[in-house]
Amino acid sequence: MPTRKLVLAVSAFSALTLLATGCSSGSDSSASDKKTITIWSSMDQPIIDGLKAKVNPEAKAQGITVQWRKVDNINQIIVQKVQANDAPDIALLPQPGIIKDFATKGKVTPLDDVLDIPALQKSMTPGTLDVAKVNGKTYGLMVSMNVKGLVFYPKKAFEAAGYTAPKTLDELNALTEKIKADGKTPWCLGIEAATATGWPATDWFENLVLKYGGVDKYNEWISHKIKFDSPLVRQAAAQFEKIAFTDGNVLGGRKSIASNNFGTAGNPMFQSKPGCYMYQQGSFITGFFPKAVQKNLDSEVGVFGLPPVTAGGDNPVEGGGDTASIYQDSPAARKVMKLLAATDVGTTAAKNGSSFISPHKDFPLSNYPLKTTQSIAKVAYDSTGFAFDGSDAMPTAVGTGSFWKEMTAWISGQESLDAALKNIDASWPVS
Amino acid sequence: MVSQVLSTVLTVLAGVAAALVVYWVLNKLAEALPGPWENRIKPYFYVAPAVAAIGVYLVYPTIITVINSFKNSDGSRFVGVENFVKLLQTPAFRQTLLNTLLWIAIVPAACIVVGLFVATLADRLSFRAEKAAKTIIFMPMAISAVGSATVWRFMYAAQPAGQPQTGLLNGIVTAFGHDPVPWLQQSTLHSNSLLLMVMLLWGQAGFAMVLLSAAIKGVPAETLEAARLDGAGEMRIFWRVILPQIRGTVITVFVTVLITVMKVFDVIYVTTNGAFNTNVVGLEFFNQLYTNYNYGYASAIVVMLLIAIVPIMIYQIRHFRAEEPA
Repeated sequence: MPTRKLVLAVSAFSALTLLATGCSSGSDSSASDKKTITIWSSMDQPIIDGLKAKVNPEAKAQGITVQWRKVDNINQIIVQKVQANDAPDIALLPQPGIIKDFATKGKVTPLDDVLDIPALQKSMTPGTLDVAKVNGKTYGLMVSMNVKGLVFYPKKAFEAAGYTAPKTLDELNALTEKIKADGKTPWCLGIEAATATGWPATDWFENLVLKYGGVDKYNEWISHKIKFDSPLVRQAAAQFEKIAFTDGNVLGGRKSIASNNFGTAGNPMFQSKPGCYMYQQGSFITGFFPKAVQKNLDSEVGVFGLPPVTAGGDNPVEGGGDTASIYQDSPAARKVMKLLAATDVGTTAAKNGSSFISPHKDFPLSNYPLKTTQSIAKVAYDSTGFAFDGSDAMPTAVGTGSFWKEMTAWISGQESLDAALKNIDASWPVS
Repeated sequence: MVSQVLSTVLTVLAGVAAALVVYWVLNKLAEALPGPWENRIKPYFYVAPAVAAIGVYLVYPTIITVINSFKNSDGSRFVGVENFVKLLQTPAFRQTLLNTLLWIAIVPAACIVVGLFVATLADRLSFRAEKAAKTIIFMPMAISAVGSATVWRFMYAAQPAGQPQTGLLNGIVTAFGHDPVPWLQQSTLHSNSLLLMVMLLWGQAGFAMVLLSAAIKGVPAETLEAARLDGAGEMRIFWRVILPQIRGTVITVFVTVLITVMKVFDVIYVTTNGAFNTNVVGLEFFNQLYTNYNYGYASAIVVMLLIAIVPIMIYQIRHFRAEEPA
């Protein structure tokens, strides 16, 4: 029976090769002649496709095959894989805190010898190169970013009424008063998100703490060196209170905030007689706008970043991003990392209409097909610093627990600000 | 999908086969014993795997939980009764306990009332109408608690005034020209907890009705006729003749719903996640474990719950034994 022999032979051969590759991926001796690089990420498929279209041909020219894999809940899986010594060559994580943790344990390769750091300092949005820095060494390179603290407005009605984007927080308050004086409702605000109710309020807080305190104070706050019950956080709270609790500022008033879903809260902006004129959210929210608005995003929607305290002064921005690190060091992995660090690596991803935003401020805005995306990118590129989502970086007991809950309790009037801030401080786990 | 079904089927088959092998081997072992010992030992061999399973999956975790309740948040150090003391000192946790008590006091009783009411009235309908009414009341039982809570969220949803309301209640309220009410935020006198209880009641009433209806149908017709001949009114017949005869079923339903309520978690998790002072013990346990990673608090909460549930279970088992015809 020749077929059976063939099957046997094939299976024996594949078993051997499996064994061989299984051995080689673990040993260092073969790292120097490695030809295939695996990259894991949890980015949207269109972004991966765009990066792949750009990176793979360039890698091929150097004799390297790059395999991209989309891994959902990569944050958990990468920890398991690193513990099992089975990590991919390169992975892009949305949580830089995990990379820092790996760095202190020596599980990721420092990029200082791999990349031209001083050149990148100039090319990238301020602060984005520091998100995975440990003891002065750079362990992560942000490849794709998103921006928070954006104020969206209904472009046509906003401009017809003669309103302009404010340059300072005081001007933002003045604009709020002006819209109200015109007999309209300035803000839409909703923090309802089912089991995660409250998180949009924490975004408001993070952005305001960042504007008032700057990146360094902000980082001290998210590591609890600055307490919630502190002048800085109270300053942020006072500004939020001014916007959210003043009569007539918010569509539906203060009592509607905690029951208004964040996804749809901004939609009254696009009614024929706008229900409100401003809605603060992250860059992702455009995907929640009504279909008709999404179709004509550029003509329907305008956007500006939450303004700084003083015009032209320190103006850091909050956001997120996917940060690449080398988990299995090899010459090939280093070469691919260099390709990922190029400003134009995102050209195709940006042009194919994905939600991709490049962290390189010298990335030509004209690469983004949408004016809205250009404005959002410009908010980041013009900023003076970058901070990661604070509640994501806090211990979960606070970041996805008390911070959400106490903000909800305060905003819905069940608790005083004083009690809310003190309760959050008390909930911080003692380590 | 296919591979999942296949692996499920294979797992079940393998499990059953393994169990058969275990029993076969035990049986052979017993048979190998000399003379009378075979029959003396055999019953224990047959009971042993079940006892072992209960030990591994039930008793052992319970003991570990009790031990953990006296340890700190990551289980690295013994802290005595600190977890219990601290929890009971927190005003928020006391409110959580109060909410749970409210659930216990209201839901099982309400379930019995609604179930009895429907069962008694349906009993007087024509055969078809009775079937239809019971089917409608029973239907929510087929929906998972998370599913029903998701649906009920739309009942209580609130949009800002002037906006189209997607919530049924606010649709009605605004149709009469009032401002929409953020229902789930109405914490005065814990009224939002009552709104959440309605959700569980909606799901559990069908269960109560089916059992009670069966019991009512089991009441001998002679006793009813005798009462009628003696000139008793329908209300009196219900209270004096029917109810005493179905008392056992009422207690069983009450206790079953009571235990469900003490562990209630999903309907509140989905709707408010404990915000607006609607937290209950079951949800607090979940959040201590999976949000705060505080194993000490989580275990302490479970131990408190255990202490509260055990007497009820003992009562239920006793009652069950007494009901069983000798």
